[in-house]
Amino acid sequence: MEPVLNPGVLSSWTPGVFGLVIYAMAVIGLVAVLLFLSSWLGEKKPNPDKLRPYESGIIPTGTARLRYPIPFYQVAIFFLLFDVEAAFIFSWAIACRPLGWLGWFQITFFIVVLVAGLIYIWQKGGLDWGPKPTRR
Amino acid sequence: MGTETHAPITPFDRLLKPVDMVLNWARSRSLWPMFFGLSCCFVEEATAITSRYDIARFGAEVFRPSPRQADLLIVSGTLFKKIAPVVRRLYEQMPEPKWVISMGSCANTGGMYDAYSVVQGVNQILPVDVYIPGCPPRPEAVLQGLVMLQEKVAEEKPARSIFHLGGGTQGTQRPVLADGDTKSRDPRGPGMERIAIRGTSVTPPEFVGSRSDLMWSPPPAAAALSNGDHRLAAELTRRFGDVLRQAPETSDFLTFEVAPDSVKQVLTYLKTDATPRYRRLEDLTAVDESARRTRDAYPDYTLVYHLLSFDPACRVRLKTPLTGESPTHPSITDIWPSANWYEREVFDMFGIRFAGHPNLRRILMPDHWKGHPLQKSHPGRATDMPPYTREDARILQPRDGDMFLEEAVDAEEMILNIGPHHVSTHGLMRFIAALNGEEITDLDMEIGYHHRSVEKIGERQTWNQFIPYTDRVDYLAGAANNLPYVMAVETLAGIQVPDRAQVIRVLLSELYRLSNHLVYFGTLAHDVGAMTPTFYTFREREMILDIVELITGGRLHASFFRLGGVALDLPDGWKTPVDNFTKIFDRRIDEYESLVTENIIFKMRTQGVGTISLDDAVDWGVSGPNLRACGLSWDLRKAFPYSGYDAFDFEIPTAEAGDCYARYQVRVAEMRQSLRIIKQAAEQMPPGRWVTDDYRYAIPQREDMLKDIESLIHHFINVTRGPRIPIGEAYASCEIPRGEQGYYVVSDGLGYAYRMRIRSPGFPNVQVLPMMARGNSISDLIAIIGSVDYILPDIDR
Repeated sequence: MEPVLNPGVLSSWTPGVFGLVIYAMAVIGLVAVLLFLSSWLGEKKPNPDKLRPYESGIIPTGTARLRYPIPFYQVAIFFLLFDVEAAFIFSWAIACRPLGWLGWFQITFFIVVLVAGLIYIWQKGGLDWGPKPTRR
Repeated sequence: MGTETHAPITPFDRLLKPVDMVLNWARSRSLWPMFFGLSCCFVEEATAITSRYDIARFGAEVFRPSPRQADLLIVSGTLFKKIAPVVRRLYEQMPEPKWVISMGSCANTGGMYDAYSVVQGVNQILPVDVYIPGCPPRPEAVLQGLVMLQEKVAEEKPARSIFHLGGGTQGTQRPVLADGDTKSRDPRGPGMERIAIRGTSVTPPEFVGSRSDLMWSPPPAAAALSNGDHRLAAELTRRFGDVLRQAPETSDFLTFEVAPDSVKQVLTYLKTDATPRYRRLEDLTAVDESARRTRDAYPDYTLVYHLLSFDPACRVRLKTPLTGESPTHPSITDIWPSANWYEREVFDMFGIRFAGHPNLRRILMPDHWKGHPLQKSHPGRATDMPPYTREDARILQPRDGDMFLEEAVDAEEMILNIGPHHVSTHGLMRFIAALNGEEITDLDMEIGYHHRSVEKIGERQTWNQFIPYTDRVDYLAGAANNLPYVMAVETLAGIQVPDRAQVIRVLLSELYRLSNHLVYFGTLAHDVGAMTPTFYTFREREMILDIVELITGGRLHASFFRLGGVALDLPDGWKTPVDNFTKIFDRRIDEYESLVTENIIFKMRTQGVGTISLDDAVDWGVSGPNLRACGLSWDLRKAFPYSGYDAFDFEIPTAEAGDCYARYQVRVAEMRQSLRIIKQAAEQMPPGRWVTDDYRYAIPQREDMLKDIESLIHHFINVTRGPRIPIGEAYASCEIPRGEQGYYVVSDGLGYAYRMRIRSPGFPNVQVLPMMARGNSISDLIAIIGSVDYILPDIDR
């Protein structure tokens, strides 16, 4: 048995371009085979009813691309904004002592601005969504 | 299968054989049925999922709500012409390969519903692999059908088809059948087309030469009117003079004939000013008088209004004669909003138009329907009409969703179609909701997908033959449905029911009430997201059905009550299972309640949702537990005690809020009261006869029939041509689990009803759904639907 000259070439433990290329090719190959097999093996008998969207058994009404009210989307966006705020505050908290009082004032200003924004959104009704019982 | 001829088997084919085996093994043991039901059969299909039958043992427990994920369509129940296009589309939308099981007599052949609205067998529009016989088949039969399908799948040869080699078989291979070619709708089989199936004496509407004409029967029973009735009659005569005439004799309650032009004034007076005030429009219907034995004595149509007063409890009937082929009559929707659907139904069924009706269009029949089914000239049997074909199912589509909501829907609102095939609609019903975001701004419903033509069938089946049809009017309430029908005929003919039969009737009615409320409990909890309660409630439901089966021989459809009594005496040893059940059931209710009643999620989903005020509920004719949930202590078992209910000690549970939670609370409390009644009925079961000895109308007890020639003759007559019920009319109503179900029977002195009208609780209860739903979110709609507890055959009849 000849000893392998460079033992790292085929090892997955040592980083190397060769291993990555093999891996990528395996992934692409597997995905291609799976996609091909499922498409080739599956039986296809298209007809107008099968290709139509399923809507409880009847022919769908109107278009699916309408101007849909976005209250939920708004709430999601506000959540994201305030979530990002947390990222800033955490990073400040880690470096709290080196930043000193100047840093404290800056982050306080940042939070105050955000709270003002929150109050504004609140007042404008941006957080109210869902049915309004008064409309009954 | 087996019919295709192959080239000689090559070694390559031998190679494919193990592939076939593996594929078939995998497929047959993981069938994914669609969560799709048409009527009664689906209840048994769903029961097969629950713990006692456990369809999971056969690898088919993954019921999918969407056709895209299913490969097995179990057509469970009656295939209606209105729903057939939908069924066909759902089948088309399933991926390949797919299989079809036809479950129950209706799906197989139309079964007992040889009626204008029913397709006589699903094999006319879909290919079918396996047929399950029965009406309805038991859950075990579903399992057997599944096993038979697995055996069929095991014989398929999918490999060639999968590898694109040509040939091979997978999925359904059988053709769709065509009437007169590959199948025959004739009950005698093919080749008899030129010979009439039935003689004229049993053919509606004329019944030429009916032997009932030769029979004599006493005059109809006469009801004694109360003092209040006499006062009202005097007051009405004083006020309205000769436009109004009191009917001289009545079998049930006060009846007036009113001239068509004055009927609105009289109704307004009765609702607002009379003493007592008749606050509820109990029923509005019509009778086509064109086939009467004595034609000259009647107008062309009679409109019939039934009104109800709560305090004191009494009813009144107004009849209005109409003349002409399709007469026009003033609408009363401005007096009672609930008249909206009733008038639409009369228009749909009789062609009578209502001037001033906001939205007069068909309600039960599809838009393209020709004629008005309850007119005497309209055919009653599907076999008298051209067969329904696959092509019909392609063309005759349900009305487009855009054509429902009258008020303009603005650009940001979405029209969402829910149903007719949807897990949450609890049957074949279609909701069309206008949504602003998640909020329901408007709601409309389309019913009639489950219209089984029962009222028309009642005009051709003899008085006793009709009893099995009544079971199927509310298929979760079984024999409780028989009661208002037999009571109406007994009222008309003056038949006395022995005590023992009365108590047996009460016992069974209350068992069915429990059975129904257990389904309600499980499905409502399921609708708001709790899976578990269903498995518990169906466990006890099986205990109840076992008792019912022991006594009657049937499960869902006992058909046990008869004119003048019940079909059989209680069997030996009936009391032990009843006692075993009553002993444990109280604790079991506690168990269910501990899962749900104080559950915070359940409360948040139901409290304050779908609220309706008491005034609205009364105005719209809401009845049963839904009405009691608004705070009115009104129960027919107390208000008009029937079948000996006044001898029982029980209370009427009520709640105040009128929301989904209140409706739930009332039903849970009712279960405890029903349990009390069952205990008392079992303890105090009186001895004696179980059917009246007035054999003119009743089917005699078996022992009498075998020993006594008179009874044998009565048996022969009453079973074949049917008893002759006196000329007249009667209305009787019962508190069935879902509310007040009434039968208005009109007899023209034949072996059949002249008009069979069913006043169902579901029809008005569902009509108020838009009021409950508007302003709530779309997810609340599901809770509201679940809490109202309607059932489609009773709405559409």
